[in-house]
Amino acid sequence: MSKSRGYAGQILEVNLNKKDFGRNDLNQDFCKDYLGGIGFNARIIYDGVPAGIDALSEENILVFSVGTMVGATFPTASRTEVSAKSPMTGLFGTSNSGMFFGTQLKNAGFDSLVIKGRADKPVYLFIEDGELSYQDAANLWGKDSWETIDILKRKYPGCEVATIGPAGENLVRFACIENGYYDAWARTGLGAVMGSKNLKAVVVRGTQGIKPHNVEKLLDVSWKARELIQSSPFFAPFKSYGSMNAAIPYGKFKALNANNFSQGCLPDWKEDFARSKVEELTSGHVACQSCIIACAHWVEIKEGKYKGLRMKDMEVTPVTSFGSGCGMSLEASVKAAEMNQRYGMDMVSAGGVVAMAIELYNRGILKKEDIGYEVAFGDDDGILQLMGDIAHRRGLGDILAEGAWRAAQRYADGESSAMHVKGLEIPMIDPRGRTSTWSFGILTNIRGGDHLRCRNPIENLRYNENKHQFQKERFGFDRKMYEELDMPEAMKSEAIDWESDTTDVAIMSRWAEDLINLLNSLGVCIRPPVEHKIGPTILAEAYTAFTGIEITPVELMQSAERSWNLMKLFNLREGERPEDSKFPRRFYEQEVGGKKLDEDQLQEVLRKYYLARGWEATTGIPGEDKLRELGLSSN
Amino acid sequence: MNRYLMIDFTKCTGCGLCQMVCAINKTRQCDPSLARIKIWREETRGVFIPMTCQQCVEPSCASACLMNVITKDPLTGVTIRKLDNCIGCRACQMACPFEACTYDHLLEVVVNCDHCGGDPECVKICPTGALQYLHLKESLDCRRDAEALRRTAFYGEERSQG
Repeated sequence: MSKSRGYAGQILEVNLNKKDFGRNDLNQDFCKDYLGGIGFNARIIYDGVPAGIDALSEENILVFSVGTMVGATFPTASRTEVSAKSPMTGLFGTSNSGMFFGTQLKNAGFDSLVIKGRADKPVYLFIEDGELSYQDAANLWGKDSWETIDILKRKYPGCEVATIGPAGENLVRFACIENGYYDAWARTGLGAVMGSKNLKAVVVRGTQGIKPHNVEKLLDVSWKARELIQSSPFFAPFKSYGSMNAAIPYGKFKALNANNFSQGCLPDWKEDFARSKVEELTSGHVACQSCIIACAHWVEIKEGKYKGLRMKDMEVTPVTSFGSGCGMSLEASVKAAEMNQRYGMDMVSAGGVVAMAIELYNRGILKKEDIGYEVAFGDDDGILQLMGDIAHRRGLGDILAEGAWRAAQRYADGESSAMHVKGLEIPMIDPRGRTSTWSFGILTNIRGGDHLRCRNPIENLRYNENKHQFQKERFGFDRKMYEELDMPEAMKSEAIDWESDTTDVAIMSRWAEDLINLLNSLGVCIRPPVEHKIGPTILAEAYTAFTGIEITPVELMQSAERSWNLMKLFNLREGERPEDSKFPRRFYEQEVGGKKLDEDQLQEVLRKYYLARGWEATTGIPGEDKLRELGLSSN
Repeated sequence: MNRYLMIDFTKCTGCGLCQMVCAINKTRQCDPSLARIKIWREETRGVFIPMTCQQCVEPSCASACLMNVITKDPLTGVTIRKLDNCIGCRACQMACPFEACTYDHLLEVVVNCDHCGGDPECVKICPTGALQYLHLKESLDCRRDAEALRRTAFYGEERSQG
């Protein structure tokens, strides 16, 4: 695609075995069918990763793909998707992160970076303006991610760095790839894949410039998108408190992962994690590329044990992972976030594994001599020590580094304490406290127990009514909100019943997954004000203005659906079974806040969801008609 | 000079939209390195400091220029360049005490902020009000001084922390 616009136009393919690289031109059909970001990754991994391989073997492929709209003025378009076969789930592993890496990679001349093979000794890659060089990483191996980034940023001013920490080097299964100091491609263990390839870091810098097809239209549509996002009722609260907005309502619903999903909420949650507390500890906001929200907080701890700690944090997921899951204080959860970022570990999985270990200790299954010291919910010293042991695979940490699901199998009835779906630890939401599109999405998520690939774009946190589990959630907004939602009318009336003021979870899940997949393909953020207002209509306009490729909103959604189906096919090829789409046993057996899940009702909603996707109702296998419609049929 | 591009770095979130829109408007390319406005990213302190041409009354870039490219617009007070004569030697860049000159690697010349002819795009797009385009009034000097003191305080603190 020599006259490419919007796209950088090339895929960089690296072979670590041979220490060489090649550049492949993008072609327009591939762009239109898969868009970019997660779409590119889905196709590249489906085609390139042989079935049944060990995720930590050299046959696995690690792909970084920048979202199409990244590196321009489209608000919140900053995000890059990284994918590989996951060492946690054995299924499609993928994670999305923002900041400035994508802008630099595109300016260096590449939309995707495909990494194959394994280096014979530690290396890092330096990519600049269409060129790549292999650099010796002997002096970086063993350093934590912050130290590594310090060194590389000094050596290459203005660069962006993706690196692993000690956890990735030690093949901790839930190791992450750090994206600069405070962000990460965290979930599904991509850092372990990078570590298994002896690849310490990827450094990118570029000044090649991305050329928009139509500058005036791009600027116009960017303004329009900005006004849309600002008009969302979710905008103002998100600008002030970021994702911490969810902390208090989820506590109120008893829908938190409190002490390893045992009690729904902690006793003083409302006071200890209140907005006033967030305000006390934070002093400003930090944005990703082209973001008008800047949801991230700059945290400075001014007194107490962790005085002097300064970092970007106060995201609801890590805060609840440590604060609620392990019962730590807000300050201690910031410290835990720092340590996990230095080690390079997924904070959701790390919190989940540690919470499981504490529960096993409380149940008497783990003994003090197994651990070497005492651990308890809320005891930050023990918890932080255990996290260090995991990152370095010391003692019990060596077992826990395998993730909750694998570690639990080593103990009699350990499995009942492992809170995972398909091998991936579940984040903050306890579906017993709130059955919604968001919590249902954990079951159908392509990457296992995770909350970020399915969220009702118009979720109402004021209500928590669910007479029929997972079938409906309360809509609760006015007619204007309903009418302005960018969704094809036929599907909207099916998903939202205006008369009964309810949203159908199964139908909305299907739409929300495709919408988020579309945003992840184009590199646009999925924060509530964006997901609410930025739909296929404006994205089609933006895509065409930027790339010059004509596309309709329907085609955009279809491209997103195509890559979602392809990832599902990948998962099926790797042996995913219908019975894997199941919450931990505890959710069906033990009550929290007087509620537990009903397996039959849940199965019914799953069936409805599969049908809505054009998949076989009991097995969740994409049907031949659907595959033909998407051009994925092999027949 | 009657208008001034006022920066308050304490409001900056580092989103880089100012750079992006500047680069697009001036070069039709999305390459932040071409922007006439820069952001010094103090990432590990959560501080982002935008910097652009300060439109000095007696600019040291002009004194350093061998080709007499740089002059002051008598009407607006903006520092302007006759780029036809620029040989890209970058002496002005080194002379600028604010590191506010930009080397345009496409044209191989050095450029500076020209306030977009009186309607700066960066100010319009800035989502936080960190950039403002103000009329020259007496109070402006105070605001400029205040910003200078904020920066001095920030870097002073950094030095004292080693």
